[in-house]
Amino acid sequence: MKIFLLLVLFSGIGFLLIDNLRFLSNSGFSLGAATHYYVTQGFEQTGALNLVSSILYDFRAFDSLGESTVIFAAVSGIVSLLSRKTLPVSSHGLSIIVKRIFGILTPFLFVSGIYLILHGHLSPGGGFQGGVILGTISIVFCIVYGSSFDYTRYSPQSKTILEVSGALLFLAMGIIGIFLEGFFLANWFSSPERLGKLLTPGSIFGINLGVGIKIGAGLSIIFYSIIQKRIEGK
Amino acid sequence: MIEIKIVIAYLLMAMGVLFALTTVIGLFRFPDLYTRIHASTVSSTMSALCATAGLAIYLWDPLLSSKIILIGVLLFISNPMATHAIARASYRKKITLPTTNSPEERKGDFD
Repeated sequence: MKIFLLLVLFSGIGFLLIDNLRFLSNSGFSLGAATHYYVTQGFEQTGALNLVSSILYDFRAFDSLGESTVIFAAVSGIVSLLSRKTLPVSSHGLSIIVKRIFGILTPFLFVSGIYLILHGHLSPGGGFQGGVILGTISIVFCIVYGSSFDYTRYSPQSKTILEVSGALLFLAMGIIGIFLEGFFLANWFSSPERLGKLLTPGSIFGINLGVGIKIGAGLSIIFYSIIQKRIEGK
Repeated sequence: MIEIKIVIAYLLMAMGVLFALTTVIGLFRFPDLYTRIHASTVSSTMSALCATAGLAIYLWDPLLSSKIILIGVLLFISNPMATHAIARASYRKKITLPTTNSPEERKGDFD
């Protein structure tokens, strides 16, 4: 009896889904007015070829600002809870083969992260993804070269400055929008002939850059704040 | 008419699939960690290299093919490095030690 009821339930859901999909594919207007506006007007209004990026950083820029604020609060909380006074040398890294090969690979990883950030409005990717790659480089430094490698070269203070400057760049883009267009986080894109170029006038490029710097530095700060308390020195 | 480069590309991709098949058989048949790593390296180096080379020949576009060859070189360099790191860590930290054919057993063979 139970199996019969489940069969009826799932076949009903499946029938509804099939009907829904057929209804969607018949006419593009049934996607909803807002979605239709995003899809048809997104390129001309924002100057971003990547539609996801235009929705994240232009139409729904307030959401992205909220997400950045959440990550900023998380970093602040972790840093204030876990002290970062001294870093004992807890590991000396992996073997010489891994060190050498990772030394060859690091510039390519860095270029790929920067590429994802700078081309966020043209191709898949964006600030969050590129920033995560930049943060991962710093984390892998700790695993491959030992825990004191990254700490002695790039101090936590400089990472904090980078993170705060990324957040300030995001806010500055919003405030420039007030002066040029009249409301917060407005995109001042007004030249369709630059559509598809790397340096597009508009706020999406700057917001991508700010978010990328902020996420990369923030993840690195979180990681190095956590490992100091867990691992005892030799 | 079938072009010769399409044939070469399909042959390379088929070679990659065969290497991946040996990896799967080896992963199920081999007894412990080190021999399984030995089997999985076949897939992560030779299979990836053959597949990317076949794809680059199939597309035959300067920009796209060079990108795909770069990805293949990256896999060819980084996968043995990762395998080496896993095997070395598991031997040095005594997570799994070789059960058969250990160096103590076969000390006399290499003298």
